[in-house]
Amino acid sequence: MTFFHFFNCAALTFGPHAVYYKATPLSEYDTFSTCIKAAIVYIVTTLIKFVCFATFLQVSEHDGFDLSQEILKGLIGFLDVAGLYYALTQVSHRSISQNHKFQAVGLGWAFADAVLHRLAPLWVGAKGLEFTWEYLLQGLESNANLVFTVSLAALGSLMWLRKNKPAALVPFIYVSAGILAAMPSITSYLRKGLAWEFPRVVSFELSASLLMAFVTWRLFSACQRPAQ
Amino acid sequence: MRGWWRQQVMGQAVVVMVVMVMSMVVADAAAVVDVYRMIQYDLRGAPMGSRRAALNHHATSGFDVAGADLSRAVVILPVLEVNISSLNEFVQNKGLLGGLLLLLPQRSHESGGGEGDDSDENVGKVLVELEQWLVHNTFQYPVYFAYEDDYVKSVLQEVSANDAAGRPATATTGGYKLVVSVSEAKKIATPTLTNIQGWLPGLRAEGDNSMLPTIAIVASYDTFGAAPALATGSDSNGSGVAMLLELARLFSRLYANPNTRGPYNLLFGLTSGGPYNYNGTQNWLRNFDQRLRESMEYALCLNSVGSSSDHMWLHVSKPPENAFIKQILSEFENVAEGLDLTVELKHKKINISNSRVAWEHEQFSRQRITAATLSQLEEASELLQQTGGIADSRRAVNETVMMRKIKLVAESLARRIYGQQGTQVEVFAAGTNLALSPAYVRSWLDLLGRTPRVAPFLGKNAPIITALHKELAQYTKDASLQHETLDSTFVFYDNTKAQLNVYQVASVTFDFIVALAVGSYLIILFVVLFITTKVKFLAVRNLLRGPIIPLTIDCFFNHTNPFCFS
Repeated sequence: MTFFHFFNCAALTFGPHAVYYKATPLSEYDTFSTCIKAAIVYIVTTLIKFVCFATFLQVSEHDGFDLSQEILKGLIGFLDVAGLYYALTQVSHRSISQNHKFQAVGLGWAFADAVLHRLAPLWVGAKGLEFTWEYLLQGLESNANLVFTVSLAALGSLMWLRKNKPAALVPFIYVSAGILAAMPSITSYLRKGLAWEFPRVVSFELSASLLMAFVTWRLFSACQRPAQ
Repeated sequence: MRGWWRQQVMGQAVVVMVVMVMSMVVADAAAVVDVYRMIQYDLRGAPMGSRRAALNHHATSGFDVAGADLSRAVVILPVLEVNISSLNEFVQNKGLLGGLLLLLPQRSHESGGGEGDDSDENVGKVLVELEQWLVHNTFQYPVYFAYEDDYVKSVLQEVSANDAAGRPATATTGGYKLVVSVSEAKKIATPTLTNIQGWLPGLRAEGDNSMLPTIAIVASYDTFGAAPALATGSDSNGSGVAMLLELARLFSRLYANPNTRGPYNLLFGLTSGGPYNYNGTQNWLRNFDQRLRESMEYALCLNSVGSSSDHMWLHVSKPPENAFIKQILSEFENVAEGLDLTVELKHKKINISNSRVAWEHEQFSRQRITAATLSQLEEASELLQQTGGIADSRRAVNETVMMRKIKLVAESLARRIYGQQGTQVEVFAAGTNLALSPAYVRSWLDLLGRTPRVAPFLGKNAPIITALHKELAQYTKDASLQHETLDSTFVFYDNTKAQLNVYQVASVTFDFIVALAVGSYLIILFVVLFITTKVKFLAVRNLLRGPIIPLTIDCFFNHTNPFCFS
């Protein structure tokens, strides 16, 4: 087990981010600083989110699914969207194309999320002697999360940065973005409300991420067309 | 230039992060089981018992599992399935072993009553035999005891199934790993023996200046066993201690009233060091002052009086013709008749040249004090035998029979004290305020039956010693503690209790497969992303009919290729 397993899990968790950066034109256009800025925005957003959680949420005695609390949590979760908005529109980026900008922001965002939320448990847990599938599944979850984040950033750039988009598509864009933003609440509901097993939740996330990526890609290329 | 600088910073950041994370303590186990380490001691300089404490090996279900490397395996053995002769052969041949985990049958939570059925008796016999064998052998590996519970059973089942299928647990195949992380055992520097004593002074007739005679009632309270943390000895000698406390309680009532205070001093002594030739008793007697020694009429030692047998032995070392001994015996016999008990005399001479002291009264006899031991054991035991080990459980003590025995001792003592030999007076009749209290005896039996009492591990201020002291102080005068140091022929090592972590570990092969899977996933991801983003869409569309791979490779090296997105 031990270090080898930790290495495997870490590769599965963080590898896709690196691969994404290296394999796509992001690495050629020097979008690294954009990624870093997005990561910083993510960290600040998370801090604000934690402050909100601490202020508004009650600590529940039991681990059940409490609807009002979850709704509140979901609402606070929408701060992520605000953070993304800030990262996409307000932070000054070097002149890179919009296509690369949203990818870099999504990538930095997802990477910061993976490091903050998964690295420590991974180190503590996967290096332990006991074998569980938990950390491999978490690695897969991190992959799904990357896809979600990039998709959300793509839709965000459509919403906030692109002016001339087909009016018919606007509702679809907003609905898709809403689904993506609500994804943490949805998985939380599946896990706690419906008491799904972790593998089932992860497979749901993976298939949902593929579906949302496809939808986002269609929307994105549909908006691209009139510009061409 | 800028890129180089950034790489430097990144590298340093990674190093700092890794160092920070490395310093986090990792402590996580799937299951934790309480385990009790086998005793480790030196007997006259010879190493005995289990000589190691730390354990970290894969689990195996037996000694003859094909393909298992025993020197790197922990054998899990339920004690009821242990074959001592084959185990002995293994040990005598200096077989290498990673460790041994002995599973004791599930602890029963009944508080006894003693109606043990046949299976209980069998379990007891097996345990006694195994314990004796363990105590007298040396093991160069850790040996632990654990109680069988559902979890441990399921682990053992799975391990046996894997072993039977020819997949013993190793680093390459994975399986269960048993880890006890403790430091190696250290010598106990000065093991103390604590004797507890209390007085009930008798009433001197007016104008009588002579010293009152003293009767001592003595029981050794400590134990010894294969696992110090499990040596709770209910019969040997929890029963003797409970009897002594009940006697102290009864006579303290009589002595509280000047009208019923007898012309005898009563000395109650709870002695330590019983398993080690009554070492504590020896030291205790050595500290007796001359006057006390001379006033001592006799000492009655109580040893193993809890079993359901109604036949008792009065062990003496003076010849049975001795008038004093005869007298004591006839007192017992008289009372025993009415209680459906029998008492028989057994004489065993003391061999001064032999260091073995089999009965506690022999220590008194060596100091020329008349003494006898009341016990239901017929034969004198060997060193470290019948010392209240694992098998000596609370269930082995039968309270109803024991109450009759207490009555026997109490009545015969009372007859002697009040000069009523040969009469049929009943002092401690049921229903009076001098009646015996079964609840009191039971509560003490229960407490003693769950408290390990191996003297070197107790220390001076063990709760059980304090409790016994307080109890004696409540009924007697001048209750006091005496701390002695154990005879240096015995050296003990600590670490009697530990926690066993049970991990289910995956094999290295599995790790390799995962590594391959993750690696190929990342490579495929790279290629797919590369083709879909860096290769122009147009080019892909055109080349769907043409060779796509050469183009991809070309784009790697030649960015000027017009078909490549650059």
